[in-house]
Amino acid sequence: MLAAAAALCVAPLALGSYQLYLAQLMMINVIAAAGLNLLTGNCGQISLCHSSFMAIGAYASALVVIHTGLSFLPALAIGTFAAALLGACLGYPARRLSGLYLALVTLGFLQLVQILIEEFPELTGGVRGLSVPKPQVLGYAIRSDFTLYYFLLGAAAVAVFLADNLQRSRFGRAFNAVRQSAFAAQALGIPLGRTKLVAFAVAAGFAGLSGGLMAVTVGFMDPTEFGISTSLRQITFIVVGGLGSVTGSVLGAVLLTGLPEFLRGTQEYADLVYAAILLGSLLFMPRGIKGLLDDLWSLRLVRKPATP
Amino acid sequence: MTWQIAFQLAVSGLSVGSIYALVALALVIPFKASGVLNFAQGEMVTLGAYIGLVLSTSLPLPFVAVAALTVIIAGAFGVLIERLFIRPIVAAPEFTLVIATFAIGLIIKAAIRLHWQDNTFPFDAPYAGPALAVGPLRVNPSYLIIIACLAALVGVLVAFFRGTKFGKAMRAVAIDPRAARLMGIRVESIFMSAWALAAGIGAIAGLLVAPLIGINPEIGQLIVKALVAAVIGGFTSLGGAVAGGLLLGVLETFCGAFFGATLKNIVPFGILILLLLLKPQGLFGGSLQQRV
Repeated sequence: MLAAAAALCVAPLALGSYQLYLAQLMMINVIAAAGLNLLTGNCGQISLCHSSFMAIGAYASALVVIHTGLSFLPALAIGTFAAALLGACLGYPARRLSGLYLALVTLGFLQLVQILIEEFPELTGGVRGLSVPKPQVLGYAIRSDFTLYYFLLGAAAVAVFLADNLQRSRFGRAFNAVRQSAFAAQALGIPLGRTKLVAFAVAAGFAGLSGGLMAVTVGFMDPTEFGISTSLRQITFIVVGGLGSVTGSVLGAVLLTGLPEFLRGTQEYADLVYAAILLGSLLFMPRGIKGLLDDLWSLRLVRKPATP
Repeated sequence: MTWQIAFQLAVSGLSVGSIYALVALALVIPFKASGVLNFAQGEMVTLGAYIGLVLSTSLPLPFVAVAALTVIIAGAFGVLIERLFIRPIVAAPEFTLVIATFAIGLIIKAAIRLHWQDNTFPFDAPYAGPALAVGPLRVNPSYLIIIACLAALVGVLVAFFRGTKFGKAMRAVAIDPRAARLMGIRVESIFMSAWALAAGIGAIAGLLVAPLIGINPEIGQLIVKALVAAVIGGFTSLGGAVAGGLLLGVLETFCGAFFGATLKNIVPFGILILLLLLKPQGLFGGSLQQRV
């Protein structure tokens, strides 16, 4: 753990600017994946609109900075809160649905958000996109990629810590119970609707945070970036990493965000490779890399590191 | 607004709706048979259009022959996908099935974009031509052909499901797979045929839509409208899917004419979300059953 943390801290010194950018995206994707995994992996609710909550967080925080002159941190908090609130608004009616019908509602929500972004260009920039100013934190402008990297690293660490704690809490256990059997969970006195509502709001909040960070990292927002393909990419992170596990979210997001680096010169195959990995993972490795590692450890092929 | 304009809007709405209805049928048929909703169906429509493009540019065949070949090849693709990817996970949780079919769609789309890039190819149909003038009315002949194709296909499907032994077996599997198996029906071959049938219908939709908007990798976006149509129809009713598609097409066209493109784009998704939240069994569906 310590070695990994140290490696993450010194990593930017050894990286080129493109690799550093990928590392920044990794941190952002880790936050989004951790949120989605709580909702989908733990609570068992399909969501195809995770990228919409990213969009909401991104646009809300950027527009607050542009129009009110608030600095970046409060704007980021507002963006996160706005996404969580809308997540709850979607979760409130959707808590009665599950499975296929939930997939359809979230798909409809995704399309609706994308159309609304494109149809109000005077506010959102529409299809032409929106430029985002460089972030100011406590009066200090984050200009260099190094500073931004450490800021994102800190944010991702906080998010992973929160997700891990939430997963072990009463709520996390309730999420798992709801996934395994809604009826058994109800029989145990778990309020089904409220638990799902919390899961939706928390996942949307994580997505909103990662969206706000994405906006300042990329510096430009393109509404097509928040479509179904981004949602599916986030689902790929958690399926490949391991559903219902924070380690899985981190592994999936880091490995798959780094994938373009290994696919150099074959950029045009990237979509195909991602989709093939997702399908292969579903067919042959339903518990993801985390499940694979667990199996290896239980076979004693690899010595399991002592759990802290 | 005169009655002529209203009529012309209705014809164009019905033709758009017919396309939606065809794709909705292609979604509902395998869903009823095997309980799998194929989110790759949109890309299978795109694939149908590209198969038609390849055949018509490489072989000196008349349009009807190209269409027939396209439907057969697309049906074979449907069988292939069912055998390779769907059958191993048909009993998996719904999440796996939803995401797996999405992934199959992404793979088809990515492969098409690799080979043909994002270009739009024109696709000529022999029936396309100048607007027909019937008295004071002017009607695009393509629209009429599309509506006629849907009507013919519905007729064929009704005859197939009501009149043939195989169609009846398919209905039996849709009602209760276990009982159907005990009656000696080979459930697996029914699943496979349902996917072949759906892929063929999807290819017909692709061939019909291609002359209107050209062939490009984004044709598959149609699936969202088809899902809305299927939801309006209650998801398990073929008649409902057709009615839902036509209703959506007409509604969209009139909304676009009266209130502009913004509302036209929002209407389908508004309907989808409201219907699923308030009346998930659809306007034409029966009551929802919950499997424990």
